[in-house]
Amino acid sequence: MRFVLRMAVREIRASWRRLLLFFVCIAVGVGGIVLLRSIVQDVRLAIARDARSLSAADVTLSTNRSWDDQTREIIARRLAGVKVLARTEGIETSTMVRPADERRPVARMAEVRGVQPGFPLYGNVELQDGRSYSHALLAGHGALIRPELLVQLDSRVGDEILIGTGRFTVRGVLVSEPGRRVAGFSFGPRILVDAADLESTGLLGFGSRVSRDIQLKLPDREIEPTANQLRADLRTHFVNVRSVRGTEDHVGDDLSRAENYLSLVGLVIAILGGIGVSSVTRVFVQQKVRSIAVLKCLGATSWQVFGAYLVQAILLGAVGCLLGVALAAAGLASLPWWFSGQPGFATVPTDMTPSAVVQGVAIGLLVAVLFSAVPLLDVRRVKPSLLLRDAIRAGERDWVRWAAMAVLLAALVLIASWQAGSFRIGLAVSVGLAAVALILSLVGAGFVRAIRPLGASRSVALRHAVLRLSRPGNQTRAVLLAVGLGAFFIVGVRSLQANLLDQFSVTLDANAADMFLIDVQPGQAVGVERMLAERTGTPQPPAIPVLRARVTSVAGREVTLRTYEEVRRRGGLGREFTVTWRDHLQPNERVVEGRFWDRGRAETPEVSIEQGLRDRSRIHVGDTVQFDVLGRTISARVTSVREVDWRDARQGGFMFVFRPGPLDKVPATYVAPVRGPVDPAARARLQRDLVDRFPNVSVIDLREILQNVERVLAKVTLGVTVVGGLVLLVGGLILIGSVSMTRFQRIYEVAIFRTLGAGTRLLTVMTALEYGVLGLLSGAIGSVAAIALTYYVSRHVLDIRWSPYPMISLAGMAVTALVVCAVGLAASADILRRRPLGTLRSE
Amino acid sequence: MIQLHGVSKTVMSGASPLTILHAIDLDVPAGRFLAVTGPSGSGKSTLLGLIAGLDAPSAGRVVIDGTDITSLDEDRLARLRGQKIGFVFQFFHLVPSLTAFENVMVPMEIAGRPGAAARATALLSEVGLTGRGHHYPSQLSGGEQQRIAIARAFANEPLILLADEPTGNLDTANGRHVMELLREVNERRGTTLVLATHDASLAALAHERLALRDGQRELV
Repeated sequence: MRFVLRMAVREIRASWRRLLLFFVCIAVGVGGIVLLRSIVQDVRLAIARDARSLSAADVTLSTNRSWDDQTREIIARRLAGVKVLARTEGIETSTMVRPADERRPVARMAEVRGVQPGFPLYGNVELQDGRSYSHALLAGHGALIRPELLVQLDSRVGDEILIGTGRFTVRGVLVSEPGRRVAGFSFGPRILVDAADLESTGLLGFGSRVSRDIQLKLPDREIEPTANQLRADLRTHFVNVRSVRGTEDHVGDDLSRAENYLSLVGLVIAILGGIGVSSVTRVFVQQKVRSIAVLKCLGATSWQVFGAYLVQAILLGAVGCLLGVALAAAGLASLPWWFSGQPGFATVPTDMTPSAVVQGVAIGLLVAVLFSAVPLLDVRRVKPSLLLRDAIRAGERDWVRWAAMAVLLAALVLIASWQAGSFRIGLAVSVGLAAVALILSLVGAGFVRAIRPLGASRSVALRHAVLRLSRPGNQTRAVLLAVGLGAFFIVGVRSLQANLLDQFSVTLDANAADMFLIDVQPGQAVGVERMLAERTGTPQPPAIPVLRARVTSVAGREVTLRTYEEVRRRGGLGREFTVTWRDHLQPNERVVEGRFWDRGRAETPEVSIEQGLRDRSRIHVGDTVQFDVLGRTISARVTSVREVDWRDARQGGFMFVFRPGPLDKVPATYVAPVRGPVDPAARARLQRDLVDRFPNVSVIDLREILQNVERVLAKVTLGVTVVGGLVLLVGGLILIGSVSMTRFQRIYEVAIFRTLGAGTRLLTVMTALEYGVLGLLSGAIGSVAAIALTYYVSRHVLDIRWSPYPMISLAGMAVTALVVCAVGLAASADILRRRPLGTLRSE
Repeated sequence: MIQLHGVSKTVMSGASPLTILHAIDLDVPAGRFLAVTGPSGSGKSTLLGLIAGLDAPSAGRVVIDGTDITSLDEDRLARLRGQKIGFVFQFFHLVPSLTAFENVMVPMEIAGRPGAAARATALLSEVGLTGRGHHYPSQLSGGEQQRIAIARAFANEPLILLADEPTGNLDTANGRHVMELLREVNERRGTTLVLATHDASLAALAHERLALRDGQRELV
């Protein structure tokens, strides 16, 4: 054992430079795992610590209707038997906000929250100037607003702003507030005002989008029972009951899943690093054959030698792990800089968590051991007799080696399961990865075969370049796999981004609506249309009546849902839908099943549903769906299924369209699509004037949303590109490893070519072509896979139209080819410069 | 000490078998010095390799110090070599990643012998290389490397020392020095020495001679 340890240490001293690649491969994988896991764990820790202030209450009841007497009574009756420590109510609505100063032509959508003096039950409202919050700041039409909104409104603390018809004074800048979701969809920046003042703005009337909540502080052991009882009591009243534990669990589950998926990405990088480790080790053993034979001659057993090199691999792996942890630390430290200026990210802590480090290091060591063990087993086959004469290569099957590979595969499945937190997912990922590897290597083999005719090319350089790719001991497949995978990530996500942006930008062509007015009251519809016509000078599309409705039951061929509770359990179907009625199809609609009604009114309610909704909820033509529309129950028969081209949803895409008639009596609000002026100043002026005249009307500016979407997509793309870059980096490392693997062969070959009259130029061109072709093939594999991915994701996950982006694919291939070519040339540079005589003499 | 009974070695050369050593019987008693002579390719190295258990004979039995090594597996052979046999090669075969001192220590470490460092220092001084222990093989001359190799071969005080053309790659002066070291080991410590050489003047120093030609014993 002493011998094993000492030999390991001495070998490292002698050859750590040659094995640099070894620990860089490990470091990249470990760094990836530690970084990704730390981020998620930090977020989770923050949430666990601040769960109460995040949900702001022990139990929250919320509804987007008003609290009617009956509901209030049910709640009061239930709470009578419970010791309520504190209670406060809140109101939220999204609306347009504008400076009171009419010379500033801006109006912005914001989320206004009205709170009572009891707010917040938990946590603190954080203000930018460090003052502590008290309700007195809001009393008498005071408002606290988010900094970005203040900038958008071109206002300062002390200025007055208009919310609806109410005039408020900005009393402070809001940094964070308890109860605000960490991430989620929002209609705009937050404004905090007094609840009673909000009632006075005239915004909470009929048809407006208002959410009201009651927040409760209860003794610990009463939280869950009370929440459950209230949930049961209010089942039929469209009231959502949340408990702090529930929120915590829900967010926690999501984060665990995110953490595990991200870790799998890290694991994939680590496994690719393992491939690099494996090829480096194989070269190492080849170079050490003579020393191994000597050690055996001096009395060392195969396992002693194997042990010495394995210990060496473990030590190198450990160094790689440390390097990886250091990389992760650097990455984490740079995060705040990365996300600076992104609201919401500023407060996320960026500490390295011990558990992430332990997992990263454990995986790093396992990968180092497992992937180096298989090639190291070859030391057993080194015979000491080769010191006397060249050994005759034994071609017999090595069962130990096969067994080791089986152990390696089994271990990978277990590690993946551990990282994914589920054996099923672990197995699926392993099988998936194996399948991808198999496909990529088959495709690679196919490509290599396809270019084989080039081996008969008239060009010497090209001929030899192609022949080299299939020389014995070539690493063509390993490189194709790793580099191809990296290219796949990057090209895939870029094309997906292009497809998504394309989806949005279609709505912005010159003649289409690029602004939507919502919450237009029935009495205002005519006035709004007239004002728009005057101001824009172009004919505007007609306003669309909309209602909000919930599905309360379904009686169908395939699905029967008797109560709203059952509907709610079906996921998406339980949400609130925006519905409309009309007697014609829009240009972006097509009936795919059943028959759309003719003009004219119906005796009994009829409804047409969207194709995707049919597929997901399995509601068919002929089924009866019952709706609750503003408290009225309407039973409608499904008479047709429409396909909606969502890319062209200017006229609105509706899941449910009713036949005119039964809904006419229900008071609706209107949505008006507007072709707004393109000039930003004119747009702002128009929005401001609209809101001045119709304070309850909100404007959704598509151009602005598109900019936001672009910004978010750019961030996501950057993230995935970084991951893809890591994969590509590992690919580069494997490439370097493969160059050094065939190094001796190459040195000799170059010497002979030189002796036979080849100049540096020819040799360089030959090498450049070799790696250029390899890179081109990798890029092609990645691009083909990326096209398959974007097609699948676009059509089946995002449900958008797919179009190929040949420029992105071609650019991806070209860049990959260039990178691989550059790396290959750089790694071979010293070989190409060598003088032939020294080489031939020493051979 | 060394007994060979009908030992031969046949290898496959392409598709046809090639006998590089024909059946040979040999008995070298303890403490003797045997020179194996013959031109290159006559089977000298093969014979030494078979005695050291570096290679397995195609037929016959090799008995070392009363142990039939023919049926031993690779690891048992390694252990036996570590304890009883020292080997000196024509091309030195030092481990390039280890210093001279470490090269000498290795056999003792493998055998798990205590006091390896002190003994390695003593051995280095015996071969006259006290000051060069921290050098790597590539920093040493051929003669120095071979003396290190001899110190290494003698580290575990083996019963048998096998030397395969130890002076073949050295100039005359260095060759003489190496030869003196080997004879000293044989004479002073009674180590059985088998020396393969094509140099008649070296062979003349031995107690006995075995001449080989084309893998067969040649009558002298």
